[in-house]
Amino acid sequence: MNPEQAAVRQSAKEFVAGNIIPYAEYYDKSGDFHAYLLEATRTTGIFAMAVPTEYGGLGYCPLTQALVLEEWGYGCAAMGTTLSASILSMEAVLIAGNEDQKRRFCKPMLEAGLGAFALTEPAAGSDASAGVAIAVKSGNDYILNGPKCWITNGGVASVYVVFAATDPARGAKGLSAFIVERGLPGFIPGDREEKLGLRSSNTSFFFLKDVRVPAANLLGQEGDGMKIAMETLDIARPAIGALAVGLAQRCLDECVKHLRRRFPAKSFPGETLQFELADMQIEIEGARQAQHHTMALREAKLPFTKESAVAKTLCTAVAMNVTSRAMRLMGSHAYTSEFGKFMRDAKVMQIYEGTNQIQRLVIARSVLAPPRAAAPATTAGKK
Amino acid sequence: MTYSLTEPQQILGQRAREFAFEFLDPILADLDRGQIFPKALIGRLAAHDFLGLMVPKQSGVPGAGFVSHIEVVQALSRSCPAIASVINNHALVAYAIAHWGCESQKNAYLPAMIKGEKLGAIAVQEEGPIPGDGPAALLAVPQGSGFILNGTKTFVRNAGVADVYLVFATIQSGLTGFVVDAGTAGLSVGPRLETMGLRACPVADLSFKNVAVSETTVVGGEDPSVAGQLLSIGAVAEAAQTVGIARAAVSHAAEYAKRRVQFRHPIARLQAIQTLLAEIVTDSHMAWLGIRHAAQLIEDGAPFEAEAAMVKLFLGRFGSKMLIDAIQIEGGMGICEVVPKHISGPLPLARMFRDIAGTTLLDAPDDFPDKVVAAAVS
Repeated sequence: MNPEQAAVRQSAKEFVAGNIIPYAEYYDKSGDFHAYLLEATRTTGIFAMAVPTEYGGLGYCPLTQALVLEEWGYGCAAMGTTLSASILSMEAVLIAGNEDQKRRFCKPMLEAGLGAFALTEPAAGSDASAGVAIAVKSGNDYILNGPKCWITNGGVASVYVVFAATDPARGAKGLSAFIVERGLPGFIPGDREEKLGLRSSNTSFFFLKDVRVPAANLLGQEGDGMKIAMETLDIARPAIGALAVGLAQRCLDECVKHLRRRFPAKSFPGETLQFELADMQIEIEGARQAQHHTMALREAKLPFTKESAVAKTLCTAVAMNVTSRAMRLMGSHAYTSEFGKFMRDAKVMQIYEGTNQIQRLVIARSVLAPPRAAAPATTAGKK
Repeated sequence: MTYSLTEPQQILGQRAREFAFEFLDPILADLDRGQIFPKALIGRLAAHDFLGLMVPKQSGVPGAGFVSHIEVVQALSRSCPAIASVINNHALVAYAIAHWGCESQKNAYLPAMIKGEKLGAIAVQEEGPIPGDGPAALLAVPQGSGFILNGTKTFVRNAGVADVYLVFATIQSGLTGFVVDAGTAGLSVGPRLETMGLRACPVADLSFKNVAVSETTVVGGEDPSVAGQLLSIGAVAEAAQTVGIARAAVSHAAEYAKRRVQFRHPIARLQAIQTLLAEIVTDSHMAWLGIRHAAQLIEDGAPFEAEAAMVKLFLGRFGSKMLIDAIQIEGGMGICEVVPKHISGPLPLARMFRDIAGTTLLDAPDDFPDKVVAAAVS
């Protein structure tokens, strides 16, 4: 970590301590969207941390972004999800958009506006190519129709990346991506979902009914949609990992605080319990490194698809494991306090941004892939 | 040891399933959302003979005993595990009085407890790591022919709705149980705590301020093992709740997997989903065998504490995991607290996830259950 990164992390810590931790419990209970947070970040511009400097953003590198996201996950994974999902949608535009599209899409982020990435449909969850949303060319426009569900920031974003089939017969290869601004006629918002965890992160259904979108909003070419989605998710997955590491570390810290209170100095917890705590820290540390490694690969412009899936799966599994164990160790104290939130939040993180089963498919494909070149003969020179 | 149920035990299990279907399924979502204790159900539970199964001699119910008790608890937990919590806490008090109480205590409490006229609650935990250690420990000081109780018990289930509390207080050497009626002068119930799950079962602290009790309220004399034995029995009964929840969850997830089509087929055809289902069923089956074994030992009056501790250790590891995996099968549908408008329900796994976590909590000294199991290794 260089001095600038240390400074960014420190200011994120301070922001989280002042603006996130004190309010997380309230919003978790109500399940309402934490709209106040957008106002609170306006001066810091943190929603534009991934926006390149040439478009007026902070232009943080992937690792620096991860440091911020870990702090947000430490404060409240639901609020961190709002931030990371907004960045995710923008990454799709940075990957495939032209100059005009990038400039237009980045603008709301500079003013703490939100983006949303709309791929999932009732019939297309893990099987992203099974959607029914379609886009039909009509003059200089496309006309979009279809349902979208489980969309993070779906009810609160100002700009969306929406996936719809321009050539339904070609399945995944017929999918295209469009920039859709909120408020267009025919954009019918639905209710927010009442969820087990990440409750104040807005998850919504919406329906597109004859929504007319200018052809200038098509990202890349017709049929590029699935490729754009997959590349975007590669970038987004380790970000979820960063949130999950923050969540797990927070839960361990709170568990230790509780045990310190419960055990006076003279009766330090026994080894059974001490080793449980050590195991949790071992898992968290390993997950954190896997996630930072992925960020470093991305920064070095090396392939990171497999590592991205590893980081998402490992970090969210660690968050689930650490929060469950801490819940058990803290017993009724955790069960009757806001700490249940950690466990509920972790569960959702194993599902969104591609379930951990889908990540395993990606990883297994890479593990089973034939080697690219024959291995060098290791016996040479031995005789 | 046989693992098949006798006919009366089977009949009780069947009655519990019917009870759950008729009286619990329709209201359980409301009880959960509103943290409502369903007082009116207590009489009905008694009418079905579910409140006295742990006191076989007194109850006169055919097939009564600990094996029948866990059968009923498991069946009710498939629907509403919070009600099973209420029954378990009540039944532990009845069990303690039946086993360690004097004749006058048995006469005063057991018939009323079996009929549901008096609800019981057991209070062991304190703020400190072990009872008796800490500034708020509940202490009993001898005075005249009785004792004066001062201190606080934490996280007492059935607190505020119980008529009789079995309270463990520290007298010099160790923990002693006292039967204290609700409403005794100086006994007060703290505010009801909000719980993550099992929300129909109220939880609160009990505080004692110069509560005078006579020596006839002592249960089990100065036998220091009473509290530990009750906690072990309670762990087995609670484990039956865990398994009931897991069985209901895996059935729901399997049904979902047969209906949900992705990649052109129901996801139940995917090996990854089959493996998840198989692991949940295997874990819950292993747990149930351990529970049945421990329950039979308890019913037979044989040593059972190591077996009970193994059940606790096993479910500490696999209890919540079963719901973590069941939800994974249902994906976004698994995390719904309220069924979305565009979906047809019911979607109970989120509630079950919150409930099952409450059945595997380690509300005991930090070396339990590992130390008990290790001590049994010869």
